[in-house]
Amino acid sequence: MFRLLTAASASLLLLAACQQQPAASPERTESAAAPETTEAPGPGELAPAFTLVDAEGQQRSLADFRGKTVVLEWTNEGCPFVKKHYTGAMQTLQREATADGAVWLTIISSAPGTQGFVEGEEAQAWKAKHKAAFTHLLLDPTGEVGKRYDAKTTPDMRIIDPQGRLIYVGGIDDRPTNKVEDLNGANNFVHAALADAKAGRPVQTAYGTPYGCAIKYPETVEG
Amino acid sequence: MRILFLLLTWLALALPAAASVPASEAALRDALAAGAAPVAKASTAPGPQRTERIEAELVPMSAWAVPGSTAVVAIRQQIKPGWHTYWRNQGDSGGPTTLTWSLPAGVAPGDILWPLPERQRLQSLMNYGYSGAVFLPVPIEIPADAAPGRSLPLRVTAHFYVCSDEMCVPEDLDLALDLPVREGAAPLDPRFGQAIQDIVAAAPRPAGIEARVALTDGRLVLTAAGGPLAGAAPRWAYFHPFEGGVIDHAAAQSGERGPQGLTLTVAAGRGLTSNGLKGPISGVLSTDLGAWEITAEPGAALTGVTGDGAIGDGEGAQTAAAATALPDFIKAAVFALLGGLILNLMPCVFPILAMKAASLSRAAHNPAEARRDGLAFLAGVLATFLVLAGALLALRAGGQALGWGFQLQSPGVVAALALLMLAVALNLSGVFHIGAGLQGAGHGPLSRLPGVAGAFFTGVLAVVVAAPCTAPFMAFALGAALFMPWPMALAVFLMLGLGLALPYVLISLNPRLLARLPKPGPWMETLRNLLAFPMYGAALWLAWVYGRQTADALALLFGAGLMLALALWLYGRAQAASGKARTAAIGALLALIAALGLGVLAGKAPAASSEGVAPSSRLSSQPWSEQAVQSALAEGRPVLVNFTADWCVTCKVNESTALSSARTAQALEQANALYLVGDWTRRDDAITAELQRHGRSGVPLYLVYAPGRSEPRILPQLLTEGVVIDALKDAID
Repeated sequence: MFRLLTAASASLLLLAACQQQPAASPERTESAAAPETTEAPGPGELAPAFTLVDAEGQQRSLADFRGKTVVLEWTNEGCPFVKKHYTGAMQTLQREATADGAVWLTIISSAPGTQGFVEGEEAQAWKAKHKAAFTHLLLDPTGEVGKRYDAKTTPDMRIIDPQGRLIYVGGIDDRPTNKVEDLNGANNFVHAALADAKAGRPVQTAYGTPYGCAIKYPETVEG
Repeated sequence: MRILFLLLTWLALALPAAASVPASEAALRDALAAGAAPVAKASTAPGPQRTERIEAELVPMSAWAVPGSTAVVAIRQQIKPGWHTYWRNQGDSGGPTTLTWSLPAGVAPGDILWPLPERQRLQSLMNYGYSGAVFLPVPIEIPADAAPGRSLPLRVTAHFYVCSDEMCVPEDLDLALDLPVREGAAPLDPRFGQAIQDIVAAAPRPAGIEARVALTDGRLVLTAAGGPLAGAAPRWAYFHPFEGGVIDHAAAQSGERGPQGLTLTVAAGRGLTSNGLKGPISGVLSTDLGAWEITAEPGAALTGVTGDGAIGDGEGAQTAAAATALPDFIKAAVFALLGGLILNLMPCVFPILAMKAASLSRAAHNPAEARRDGLAFLAGVLATFLVLAGALLALRAGGQALGWGFQLQSPGVVAALALLMLAVALNLSGVFHIGAGLQGAGHGPLSRLPGVAGAFFTGVLAVVVAAPCTAPFMAFALGAALFMPWPMALAVFLMLGLGLALPYVLISLNPRLLARLPKPGPWMETLRNLLAFPMYGAALWLAWVYGRQTADALALLFGAGLMLALALWLYGRAQAASGKARTAAIGALLALIAALGLGVLAGKAPAASSEGVAPSSRLSSQPWSEQAVQSALAEGRPVLVNFTADWCVTCKVNESTALSSARTAQALEQANALYLVGDWTRRDDAITAELQRHGRSGVPLYLVYAPGRSEPRILPQLLTEGVVIDALKDAID
């Protein structure tokens, strides 16, 4: 008798369990708004301070270059998109910018063991190897500075004015390919922004969609 | 033994579902491995061209092309595992596949008909691309004056960015196809025609959906209504824009659905926040019900797109679905088995086991009966898991936002279970008895049947009550299982049942172990009376859960319990005395009716409003919402999120140990962290969606968000103080 009762109760339980709940009550209006990403500064905002060691072992801070236009260029010599620019266009841009008095800082944020990472002698030989014309090559193996600026790809560019504000954030030009022939006719945003800054005009295009290979940050901690 | 064989057969049935790799793909991979040396640039001969990372081929959908029609050809790719190519908007890095055609006069290529891409998360970046076997269909206009009987030489240079997590390699492959021209309707090409046709049919297209977009506070709010969205109930939605800089590709997208459509909110990309919203935004809106092209005009939101509940962006479903390979299935099955074993020790299951232990000692001297008992128990457990899992899968497939433990989210079920526990406890206390077999006498056929049925239904009971106790290992297994194809999911649940029943089954099947048990005697009655108390405890716990779930109906439940106790006592008396049997029996029946009536009233009691539920942890907390998390992160505060439910004993244990201690409170203060509690005691679709997003289907779930990191850290299910404090310290570093 008891077992029959248990059987009946169990069946009732299962039936009850299958019963559907009424639709979500209307008072629950906490429909989620979109998550905001923790924003790295954009054009018009103050550039975050940083201190990194350069290829020669010297410490370089952003504050050292206050009063000058600073160009930040994220690079990775193995990335096909970077290679396109390093066939000559990037070096020319670096030469012209530094000749005009700007400070060009090339930053490598690749983690140790990943593509683009260099240290020691290799780092010291980097400039001559690529015939570059930057002011300093900064090494950011922990990726901290890259993340501070929300740099995602190589190449990724930032231009900072003499007062420390970002005046350009984003990709180097508007042709997101790795083909050298696409350098002709491309609108180089960095070149345009530097020209605007030199002439004392406000920068016309303060943002360009970045493109390239992902920066090889160290793996984030995941539970 | 027979049962094990049956189980193996089950697994064997599930394996073909897991082996989703078609035979031709395996053959291709062999060819790739054994094939010609990789060449950077191949010759323009028809057929597949290969490099180390990718094989590509220009293939037709139909056997021939008809003059004056549009033929469909496709770029077939077979990409090495770990590498991928990209969609028209690659996302944050890489680049789209581009085609440069070289075609005879009059033959005009159309745009690539892009299949829906996968979301490929790479650390803090998000890309949209493809992996494995890919077809990119392209419509080709065939001129009316094409001569039948000849072939049209189609040549294309396909430029791929083939990227892995470590690097990107641009590959240019020259592909060729000589497409025959003939009159008459063409059949599908035998090699890939069907696959291409399926992709063409499924590719996202405009579907008459109206959409508006607005940019507020750095967030893009997209509303879409009409067309296939009207009256639909998607569980998740995600927007893939055609242009970069429109959205933050890596950010989560959250939304709401309504009777006519849905609303999606996503962090805007820097292109929009710098330059403003200047024109329409186009892209692909994908949901679990389908994917369509939409163009959203800037403007006010549409109506009818809110009010029916929150929806997530399906990322948990995506990543979990992608990982349904055989090794993952085996892992889930093993974890389920272990979880079931450990479940035996959990406070929910122990009372049932106590009851089983009592009946086992009764049958200890009779191995045949013990074996039947054990197997019937196993059958009961497995059958119930099948039914519950089947119900859960069916309801989820039907769009309900349910997770494991769903049966205890209904106050009616909890009330019924509490009354059942009380009845069983009263039986163990000796208030009433059942059948002749219980007295230890009678091995005849009549006593056998109730014994088997009883063991079966005890198994059923064990499962129903075990659900709220999430043992370690179970969360992973169940979370993964709910996203697998259903035969595999059911197999995982069966492994869980096997684990739960295993100790008892092993003892009952093993005559030597049985012989070790003491012979029946007066001690059995004492043991049964003692084991009644865990059952009383279980009844009281369920009554407490019921009290928290309803506004003020606990009195009804107590009344029902009282009536039930009275009914059972009267029944017991009717059994004992033969003369007054009739009066007592009628009295019992009346009391039972009263008990059932009160029980039904208790079951139908209105549920408590969600605001009234106080958290049981002694730390000060706020109710969880996506907004609260994001505003805390924006302020630079880490966030500790605790998803819990009253009927989840593991959750309560964690809350009273790790989450209530002074040291944890101190760590929260030092980190300036916000502590949020998401209460899933009753059904909450937003919490279900969030659980899903992290690949889980039930509670508990503990997340620690650190400012500056896009993904939260998931803490283990059995929390200790040290784990919480370490995670909080880590979040502020």
